[in-house]
Amino acid sequence: MWRAYSADYLKNNRATAVSIMTAAFISSLLLSLLGSLFYNMWKYEVERLRAEGDQYALMAMYLVRDANDEAPRLVFPLFLLIMGLASVSLVIIIHNSFAVSMQARIHQFGILSSIGATPRQIRRCLVQEAAVLCAAPVAVGTLFGIAASAGLLALLEWLVREVDGRREHVFGYHPLILLVTLLATGITIGISAWLPARRMSVMTPLDAIKNTGELHLKRKKHSPILSLLFGVEGELAGNALKAQKRALRTASVSLLLSMTAFTLMQCFFSLSEISTRETYFEKYQNAWDIMVTVKDTGTGVFEEKEPLSEIPGVEDVIVYQKAQARRYMTEEEMSEEMQANGGFAHDSGKHVTKERGGFLVNAPIIILDDASFMAYCGQIGVPQRTDGAVIRNLIRDVTNPDFRHPQYMPYIEPCDTTELRAQTGSGAVEISVLGCTEEVPVLREEYAAMDKYELVHFVPASLWSEMAGELSGAKKDTFIRVLGREGISLEELECIQGEIEEMLAGVYVMESENRIREYETNGRQFQGMMLVFGSFCVLLALIGVGDVFSNTLGFVRQRKREFARYLSVGMTPESLRKMFCIEALVLAGRPMLYAAAVTFFAVGGMLKASYMEPAEFLAEAPLLPIAGFMLAAGGMVAFAYFLSWRKMRKMNLAEILRDDTMM
Amino acid sequence: MNILSCEGVSKVYGSGENQVAALDSVDLEVDRGEFVAITGASGSGKSTLLHILGGVDKPTDGRVIVEGTDLAGLNQTQAAIFRRRKVGLVYQFYNLIPTLTVRKNILMPLTLDRKKPDEAYFGEVVQSLGIADRLEALPNQLSGGQQQRAAIARSLIYRPALLLADEPTGNLDQKNSGEIMDLLKLSNRSLKQTILLITHDEKIALEADRIITIEDGRIVSDERRR
Repeated sequence: MWRAYSADYLKNNRATAVSIMTAAFISSLLLSLLGSLFYNMWKYEVERLRAEGDQYALMAMYLVRDANDEAPRLVFPLFLLIMGLASVSLVIIIHNSFAVSMQARIHQFGILSSIGATPRQIRRCLVQEAAVLCAAPVAVGTLFGIAASAGLLALLEWLVREVDGRREHVFGYHPLILLVTLLATGITIGISAWLPARRMSVMTPLDAIKNTGELHLKRKKHSPILSLLFGVEGELAGNALKAQKRALRTASVSLLLSMTAFTLMQCFFSLSEISTRETYFEKYQNAWDIMVTVKDTGTGVFEEKEPLSEIPGVEDVIVYQKAQARRYMTEEEMSEEMQANGGFAHDSGKHVTKERGGFLVNAPIIILDDASFMAYCGQIGVPQRTDGAVIRNLIRDVTNPDFRHPQYMPYIEPCDTTELRAQTGSGAVEISVLGCTEEVPVLREEYAAMDKYELVHFVPASLWSEMAGELSGAKKDTFIRVLGREGISLEELECIQGEIEEMLAGVYVMESENRIREYETNGRQFQGMMLVFGSFCVLLALIGVGDVFSNTLGFVRQRKREFARYLSVGMTPESLRKMFCIEALVLAGRPMLYAAAVTFFAVGGMLKASYMEPAEFLAEAPLLPIAGFMLAAGGMVAFAYFLSWRKMRKMNLAEILRDDTMM
Repeated sequence: MNILSCEGVSKVYGSGENQVAALDSVDLEVDRGEFVAITGASGSGKSTLLHILGGVDKPTDGRVIVEGTDLAGLNQTQAAIFRRRKVGLVYQFYNLIPTLTVRKNILMPLTLDRKKPDEAYFGEVVQSLGIADRLEALPNQLSGGQQQRAAIARSLIYRPALLLADEPTGNLDQKNSGEIMDLLKLSNRSLKQTILLITHDEKIALEADRIITIEDGRIVSDERRR
């Protein structure tokens, strides 16, 4: 009997069935997509970690950060946030779809209950109906989710195909993920169906029969703003929206989440892009064209400078290595400005060690090939010799945390010699100082980024070979910075890069990057990330719009009495249309306003954290995509209301008023 | 003086074999200030007649003129404005707007016309209907009798030419039915309100000045009692 009843009901109420099936499909698709994407992200990271053994990068990815790493790294938290928001909305969506469809049947179940149907029978009927309706959409949704994640990852792979040194990602899937996805979907749908079914099954037959599914308020409500703006139609629309709060919750939440997430994402990526461009691409614009990293080399590689310089199109080549040492300095050696600024008093003791009335500071050593070192000496106006070091005489004002607009002061008083000590052990060397300067060689290097008290020394390769035995802090890799002519094209750079690789790849293990390609790749990476996050936002918006459609298209059945009442007391069809417009405006406009408010404060926070001027951001604020997204979502809501208005217009007032169930 | 006149009003539903004539050439004239009861069995066409008189439905044939307005020539918007200003409709199931307070429900026809209420008249109406203390409640917080009083107050607030009541006591107990009829009579006597009341209850019909009986869509008797 129940099977026949359900089959009959579903046959005659296709819109309800479609609404539930759509909710189940979208939910399983989203859960499956999330599961598959997370699995692949995890798989990629594990494979990369295994290959590189880079523990810190993985930990940083999972929010374990070095306290000195000041740069705002918000990608992963944002990803987690969007995932969290999507998951929360899912639970609400399915639950509401069932609740709305069941609410519409209370009257029928009241009649069934009055002729002897037990609460258990009603509950079982509804849950079984849910299972039958959802089985196929869940299966298809899960498969589509896997396919969508494979598609998305393939697209991403294509976008970042030319990123130097990246690992290729092969899409993978595990049966366990399928099991977890299906389990999560099943539990969500089960709970969503069971909750309203339980509520319905415990209603008394009289209460159920009396229920006409009509909108009503439990308490008196006011809509002062709508009333003020739109008059009586505004008040009626506001009250109707309040009465439909439950039915429209999915739509409101999904639209709010999608608009907020999309706006935040756009602003965040714009901000990141500006930041990366300013702090990296523009800062090092003229510092490099091609960077070669030669792995595990000794000093022999310095000899490659000559042949590399002869490659057509190459203007300048610097071959350099890095080493780490420490330097002892007394208070007297500090510059006056630094002393006035508190000296090392601001250090927590992590970077600077007190020793014998003085201080031990880290002293990174940049070992330049001799010719480049001599050229550097010439550039800064000190004797062009290879028997001494040049010291970078700059220290950032540590009391000012604005990393975007740092202020510097001289670090030390001019000196003739400098004593460098090995990082471990007792080795030490004293070398002469050719000069202390604010100017650094043209390299793609950032100095004193993590440890602001570093005292950087530049030494020639020949001198380093004499002192290396004592200090032994050299890192294994050698770097080759190549500059081409000004305004060089990507093709020319790639040609030079090819020749360099041809020259070195047979002898050394090497990697090379080129500036223009990296800039383009970085842009593509941003696009890729925006594609992934944007897809989630679109999916969320679709859920919201889908719910608005299912809700508004059910208007004629659910709200015809309400509209008949308005018309019978003299409301004109134009006023009714105005009411529709106001409802659509509020439904789409409210999340827009909330999203704008959240974005305003969030962007304010991000600007503060990244020390960026608001005007700088506003000049490149992603207003067009945000407006486009908002208009598309708002337009869909308006279209849903337009369709239901068209249906409503055909309503026969006399027929509804004749209906004796009208209460 | 005529406030309502119907000439040869017919209403046919459906087509072909399913055609049903709800009203068949009904002629009717009602004078200002009259209290008319229209009676008849279920399905006789009395509600259809009331809907046509109220501008809710249109006749298939014939003319209806209410206070000089020919209803046949009205489009949807004009019909709505006619309902707002010229007639007050009272239904068996009250038809109050559930999301508005009683006060706002009563003032609805004026609000739709962006008119300010005459506070003295409003006070008089709600006082005489006995709902002055329930004005801030929502309809579902009122008893059936109170809801019907609010519906009558709404129908009177615009001082309409015609008050059309479709089984206004059909959903009420005997005590409340009596009170509602007393209120309708009061509004007829003191406000000179023209009333057309539809009922299948003979006892209720006997309260009116004139009783019209409809059978199969035709007026079969028209009895003036006062």
